[in-house]
Amino acid sequence: MEAYLLAVAVIALIYTLLTLGLNLQYGFTGLINFGVVGFFAIGAYTSGLTVLAGWPLPVGLLLAALAAALASWPVGLLSLRLRIEYFAIVMLGYAETIRLVVTSESWLTGGVRGIAGIPSTSAALGLQADPTLVTFAITLAAVVAVILVTRHLIASPFGRVIRAIRDDEDAVRALGKHPGRFKVTVFVLGNAVAGLAGALYAHYITYISPDQFVSLLTFYIWVAMIMGGAGRIGGAVVGTVVLMVFVEGSRFVRDVMPGVAEVEMSSIRLGVIGLALMLLMRFRPQGILGTKGNP
Amino acid sequence: MGSAYLINLAFNGVILGLIVALAALSITLVFGIARFPNAATGDVATVGAFAGLAVTATGGGTAAILGFGVLTAAGLSLLFYLILFRGLADKPPVASLIASIGLAFFVRAVLTFFVGHNQQVYPLPIVRAVPFGPLRVQPTDLQVIAVAVLALAAVFALLHLTAIGRRMRAVADNPDLARASGIAATRVLVVMWLCAGALAGVSGTLLGIKTVVSPEMGWDLLMPAFAATILGTIGNPVGAVLGGLLIGLAQELSTPIVGFTYKIGVGFLVLLLMLLVRPQGLFAGNALVR
Amino acid sequence: MYRAIRTAALASLLTSVAAVAVTVPAAAADKTFSVGALNPVSGAGGTYGTGMQKAIILAAEEINAAGGACGTRIAVVAEDTQTSPEAAVLAAKKLVEVNKVQVVMGTWSSGVTLAVMPITTAAGVPLMNTSGAPAISTEDKEDLVWRFQATNGRFGQAFSEIAALRGFQRPATMAYNNASGLGNTEGFEQAWTARGGRLVSKVVYEPKQASYRSELQQILAANPDVVVMGSYLPDTTIILREWFQSGENPDLKWIIPGWAANEKLVEALGPEVTAGIIAVDSISNENAPSYARFGEAYARATGEPAGANVYAAMTYDMMILWGLAMQASCPDLAPRAINARLRAVDDPTGEAVYGFAEGKAALEAGKTINYEGASSQLALDEYGDVTPDFSLSVITDGKIVRERVVSLGVK
Repeated sequence: MEAYLLAVAVIALIYTLLTLGLNLQYGFTGLINFGVVGFFAIGAYTSGLTVLAGWPLPVGLLLAALAAALASWPVGLLSLRLRIEYFAIVMLGYAETIRLVVTSESWLTGGVRGIAGIPSTSAALGLQADPTLVTFAITLAAVVAVILVTRHLIASPFGRVIRAIRDDEDAVRALGKHPGRFKVTVFVLGNAVAGLAGALYAHYITYISPDQFVSLLTFYIWVAMIMGGAGRIGGAVVGTVVLMVFVEGSRFVRDVMPGVAEVEMSSIRLGVIGLALMLLMRFRPQGILGTKGNP
Repeated sequence: MGSAYLINLAFNGVILGLIVALAALSITLVFGIARFPNAATGDVATVGAFAGLAVTATGGGTAAILGFGVLTAAGLSLLFYLILFRGLADKPPVASLIASIGLAFFVRAVLTFFVGHNQQVYPLPIVRAVPFGPLRVQPTDLQVIAVAVLALAAVFALLHLTAIGRRMRAVADNPDLARASGIAATRVLVVMWLCAGALAGVSGTLLGIKTVVSPEMGWDLLMPAFAATILGTIGNPVGAVLGGLLIGLAQELSTPIVGFTYKIGVGFLVLLLMLLVRPQGLFAGNALVR
Repeated sequence: MYRAIRTAALASLLTSVAAVAVTVPAAAADKTFSVGALNPVSGAGGTYGTGMQKAIILAAEEINAAGGACGTRIAVVAEDTQTSPEAAVLAAKKLVEVNKVQVVMGTWSSGVTLAVMPITTAAGVPLMNTSGAPAISTEDKEDLVWRFQATNGRFGQAFSEIAALRGFQRPATMAYNNASGLGNTEGFEQAWTARGGRLVSKVVYEPKQASYRSELQQILAANPDVVVMGSYLPDTTIILREWFQSGENPDLKWIIPGWAANEKLVEALGPEVTAGIIAVDSISNENAPSYARFGEAYARATGEPAGANVYAAMTYDMMILWGLAMQASCPDLAPRAINARLRAVDDPTGEAVYGFAEGKAALEAGKTINYEGASSQLALDEYGDVTPDFSLSVITDGKIVRERVVSLGVK
C-alpha cells in the first residue's frame, strides 16, 4: 500500500509543481495561461531526449526548464499586446500547436509512437534505489524549492508590483513602472516550473507520447488551483491533494459501489470536474479555503 | 497540382469555413454582449446534433434534423444563461470563461454517460456530386451553403432591422449606458442567448450531416471557432464569418506546402501573425455596434 | 444497442465482483495466486475492456474448476487503465503493490503497455498485452512481456499479401496519425516494396476533422487501384462517404482493418457505398475446440458472441497459458519461474491441448504440451509475440462475407 500511495504522491507532487507555476501566473499576476500542458510537454521531451543522449539528469532537468522558458518568451511578449480573453484563447492554440509539432517532427520526438525507455530518475543517477522513491524525493525537493522561491518573490518589491498589476494595471503604469516586463518575467518563470514538472514526469513514467499531453491536464491544473484558492501558495498544494484524492479515489469507490460500470465512471469523473469548476466560480471563486476579499 | 486541384481545395476550405463561421458567430454574439468567450458553445452544438438524431428515429429528414437541433440548442443555451451565466454577470469575465469550460465538460459527461462514445450517423441518402467545370459540388455542400447563408442573413436582419436587435447593439456598445437609459437588459440577453444557441445548433447539425455525430464533435470545433472569432475581432459578426472563411481557406490551401498533419496549426499561425500586426483583430473595436 | 452494452457491462461487473468474492473465502483455506486484469474498460478501448476483463475471469474460473493450477486457486483483481498511460501506471502500481498480483494481463493500447512495462518488469512481474507497437518487443529486455495480438508489422504484411492476391498494381495508403494507423500502412509499404511493388501515393491525416476531402483529393489524383487504410471507424465513415459522393474513381477498391470496416460502417453508409470493401482482421482460432469452449462461456456470461470482441479471446488465452505454465513450473510458483515455462507449454513439438483441464492432465502424465489457443495457435516467437491468422472479407450487399483465411506462417 505504501508503495502505491508513494506512486500517487509522485503524480500529486508533479501536479503541485504545475499548479504552483500557474498560481504564480494567474493567482498573483492575473495572466490566463491555458497552455500549461504545452510547456509540460516541452519539458518532458527536452529532458527525456537529453538524458537518453547520455547527459546527466541535472542537465536534463535544467534544459527542460530552460526550453519551456524559451518557448514561452515570444507568446509572453505577445500577451502584453492582447486583451486577456484573447490571450487565454491564444494559449489554448499554442499548446495544441506544440502537440502538433511533437506529433509531426518524428525524426526528433518519435512522432505518434512516442519515446520509450527513458531512463528513470534512479537509473539516470546511477542509483540502485526504487525509482519511485528517488523521483518522490527529487520532486518533493523541487516543490519545496518552488514554494520557498515563490514566497520570497511575493514578499519582495517585485511581488508587490505583480500583485498590483493583477489588481490594477493602469495604476502601476501611472506609478511609472512597466507592467510588461514584470508580466513576461512571471509568465516565463511559471512555465519554467511547468517544464521542470514535465521532465520529472518523463523520468517517472519513462514513456512519453503526444496523447499524454492533451488539454484536459491543463484544466485539471486549473481546477486544482481554483479549488485551493488562486493567489495562495498553500492553496496550490491543498487543491492538488483534493484533486488527486478525487481522481484516484474513484478507483476505490468501485470496490464499495460495484453498481457503477467503469465506462460510466469516466463520464462521472469528467462531469464532477466540470461541476466543480461551475460551482466554484459561481459560489466560491476564492477557493475552498480562501476568504472573501482574498482574490 | 493544377488549378483544378487548388480550386477544389479552396471550395473545401469554404465549406469548412462556413461551419466554423456559424460557431464563431455564436461566440462573438455572446462575447459582444455578455463579455466572455463561451467555451460551452461547442458542446451546445453537440447537443443540437444529438437532438437532430432523435428526430431521425421518427423518420425526420434534413429539415426536421435542423429544426429540432436548432430549437434544442437554443433552449439549452437559454437555460444555461438562466442557471449559470446570469449569476456570474457581476463577476470578472474570467469567472464566466472558466465556468463555461466546466459547463462544456459537464455537458459532454452527461452525453457520454447516456449515449456512450460510439459514433452515430443521420440516416440521410448519400448522393453523388455534380461537376461544375473543374469543381465537384456535393449536394450536402449546397445544403451547408444555403443553410449557413440563411442563418447568417437571419442574424444580421435581427441585429439591424428589428428593435430588439438595435437594443442588442446598444448593450454591446455600452452596457451601463444601455441600462441607465432603460433598455430592458434581460430581454436583450434572453434573445441573445437564444440566438447564440440556435447558431451553435445550426453549426452542430450541419457538421453532423457532413460527418458523424459523436460527443466530442463540438469540443473539437471550438478551437477553430475561437480562432475565427479573434481573427475577425471579438464582438464583430461580419468579422467572425470572414474569420471562419479565412481559417478554412488557409488550412486547405496550405496543404500542398505544409502537408496534412500541420494544417490545423496553419489556422493558428494565421491568427498569431494577424495578432502581431493588429492585436485588436482584423476589425477595430466591438463592431456589433456598427 | 447502448442499453444492451450497458446492461452487459453492469452484469459482467456484478458477476466479476461476485466471482472475486466467491474466490476469496474458498482461497483462505487454500493457496491462492493473484492475477491482475488491467484492461481498457473506459476511454478509447472501452468497447473491448469489459469483455477482456470478463474473459480473464472466465479462464480463471475454468482453472479453479479443474482444481487450480499446481493446487493453487487463481484470484483475479481487476483495474481500469482508462486507456491512458498515466492512469495505467497508477493502476499497475496499485495491482503490484497493494494487491500483490504476480502477473498482469490485458493491457490494450501500445502507449499503455509501454508505460506499464517498466513497473511490472522492475517488480519481476510478467506483463501480457494486446498491443501492436514494435517498440514493445525491443524494450522487453528481460523477456517478461508477452504479446497476444498481431504486431502492426504483421498487419501490414497481411495487407500486402491480400493486395497481391487480388492482383492490385497501384496501391496508395491513408493513415490516421497515430502509432497503430502509421504502423499498419508503413508495415504494408515495407512488405509491398519488398515484393518489388511501389506506392502511387500516401497520406497521413490528423483525426477529428470535419472533412478529409483535400486528403482524398491528393490520393485520387494519383489514380490508385486500391487504397490501403490504417484508420478507425469515424474517419473511415467520412472518407468513404466523401469518396462516393465525389463520384471520382468509382471502381477504386479499399483494404481496411476489420475494426473500421465492420457492421457499424455498413450501417452508417449503406450497402451501395460499402460494396466491395475488403476488410482484413486478425482472427481467432475459430476451428479449435478451445475457441468453441471459450465462445460458449463468453456468450453465456456477456450475452454477446465471442466474435464481437477478438481481444477477449486473447486475454482468455493469457490466463489459460499462464495457468498451464504454473502447472508445468510446479511446485515453484515464483513469477519468473512460471514466466520461463510459458514457451514450454506452447511447444510446437508437444501434444496439442485445447483447454486447461486437458493440458493439466497431460502435464501430470509427464508429456510436453502445445496449447492451441482460442485466439490463435499462439506459437510465441523469440520476442514473445504470437502469430495469428488473418481473415479476408469482402462487403457484399451490406454483409461482411469472409472469403479466405490468410496465414503468414510461423517464423
